[in-house]
Amino acid sequence: MNPILVLGGGPAGLSAASELAALGAPTLLVERESYLGGNPVRWHYSLLAPDLRPAEEVIGALLERVEGDARIERRLSTTLTKAELGSHGYRVTLATADASETRDVAAVVLATGFDHFDSRRKFEYGYGRFPDVVDFKELEGMLHDNKLVRPSDGQRPHRIAWVLCVGSRDLQVGNPWCCRLGCVVSIKQAVEVRQKHPEVDAYIYYMDIRTYGLWEDLYWKSMQEYGIKFIRGRIGAVTLAEGGSRLLATGEDTILSRPTEVPFDMIVLASGMEASAGTKQVAELFGVPVGPEGFLTPRLTDLNPVDSGLPGVFLAGAATGPKAIPDAVTEGMGAALRAYQYARD
Amino acid sequence: MSIVAHLPRRVLSLTEEEAANPPAMELTGRRKATGPEHELAETIFAEFRQDPRHHEFVLGCLNCGECTTGCPAARFYDFSPREMLQIAATGDATTLWDAMQEKIWACCQCYTCNMRCRFGNDIAGIISVMRELSVVHGLESTRKTLAPFGRSLTLLMTVGTQVSSDMIQPDFFRDWGPFATGSDKVWDVSSDVMRKAIPSDVLQTTRSSWEVSVQTSLELFRIYEETGVLDMLRGLDPDLTEMLIDIIEERREEFQDARGRFAKEIAAMRGPVASFTG
Repeated sequence: MNPILVLGGGPAGLSAASELAALGAPTLLVERESYLGGNPVRWHYSLLAPDLRPAEEVIGALLERVEGDARIERRLSTTLTKAELGSHGYRVTLATADASETRDVAAVVLATGFDHFDSRRKFEYGYGRFPDVVDFKELEGMLHDNKLVRPSDGQRPHRIAWVLCVGSRDLQVGNPWCCRLGCVVSIKQAVEVRQKHPEVDAYIYYMDIRTYGLWEDLYWKSMQEYGIKFIRGRIGAVTLAEGGSRLLATGEDTILSRPTEVPFDMIVLASGMEASAGTKQVAELFGVPVGPEGFLTPRLTDLNPVDSGLPGVFLAGAATGPKAIPDAVTEGMGAALRAYQYARD
Repeated sequence: MSIVAHLPRRVLSLTEEEAANPPAMELTGRRKATGPEHELAETIFAEFRQDPRHHEFVLGCLNCGECTTGCPAARFYDFSPREMLQIAATGDATTLWDAMQEKIWACCQCYTCNMRCRFGNDIAGIISVMRELSVVHGLESTRKTLAPFGRSLTLLMTVGTQVSSDMIQPDFFRDWGPFATGSDKVWDVSSDVMRKAIPSDVLQTTRSSWEVSVQTSLELFRIYEETGVLDMLRGLDPDLTEMLIDIIEERREEFQDARGRFAKEIAAMRGPVASFTG
């Protein structure tokens, strides 16, 4: 059997690769970055919601499975530049910075994932202009390194605001969908901050709280046990206050029907999820249908969310829409199974 | 950061001078009250947030509004238990101060909001903490709000109503409430007669329970003295407090006299109860 190609080394791809290997299929895992693990590794995710388990533990376990398996051929810093449908799968061209080669693969799992929304596009928050306005992926890194300080002066912030739905549910930037994770990750971050530094005041500005399913528990606890304050309403603008030493968030508290203008030491933007550059690229290469949101569209989102509808092409993880790690891992398993069945038959 | 360089520069909402000397602002963006009033507001806010009951009563809020739906006060006043809870949870000194001027007194303390709250908050309880603070600090607005109740308070604190809750049943008070018959006669007998037949755990009827025991009144007043209720009231209305003390002192003397006379009479009887000392 020709190897089954898994494109993307994030949670979904790692899961797919390790399952394929467990099924006994030769597996070719291709990752464009120089490391495996995807966004959680790239941004040094700290604890994962809702169990507050270190990301390193979770991703580490996936990596261990993949790296310890001789049946998985790993190709880092490698991209796919060409894909042609043959009689038994695809003939693909893989390129590194200085070389390229052609390989025949029996089936393909596309696990090319998402990119965090570039918060600079919502310029009213001053991200990229005010150093103390940070993206929540960067706060993950700070929490991971246990260095919660203002980027501007290295001081510990006293009051932090989280702004949900940055680049999500927003037609101005063309992203009307919900990122699913901004709520729970922001709440998790606020809890993590309050656990480590109880003296820090935490405010979350929201339009709706979508901690769906069993995650609701973390939302309730964040109020009851960690005293995190929830203000319904968007921050409409961030400017400077107090001689430029603090950030001034202006908005409306739509629950108490009053304008708010609050000074903060740090503002954290919960940036949304978009189809990654790699996802857009493979959509073109393989001709996978793309929805209006830019994510890959499975043929049947309900009955078979991992089938692209094209012969031998299977989908997993955030390439088909915003997704949490457990869901991405599950889809990786499903796609692995379907790809194996296709390659075997 | 090349994108940033091309972004239009926003006009700041504060002028440079304002940014250098920011207006005194609350967390919620309200202008802070100024002067001694503001200091008092800050003190009250700090006491409120440090009160152990705050942590116990205010758990969290989903803003569902079920509390306000069932609130009798909200039907008639610009009052919402949800708003009170929000102020308790996320408010600031000025917001709390404003709510304590008038709104907290709209609450009937019926605890329907608590019963309905899906988060388990003690909303009526946190409102009563606000009330307590407004009395302790003798707020002018509280003094004015409570002034018409001086007479009720005097009666309540010097005499007391010694009624058990199971005595208040609709059947015995058909001449009261929204469905009153308009007649004193119920079942062909006067409601007074009916009330005298009220069965209760304490075997009291309206005849005996309406007659308040002097000794119980004095005991209650002793509780007010020992638990600081009187001190609290003194901050709000020193004159009323002194008057209450005068009334009770007089009653204490009368009670001691009566007890002395009673003891003498008993002693004169030289019977088996002669050793009674009161």
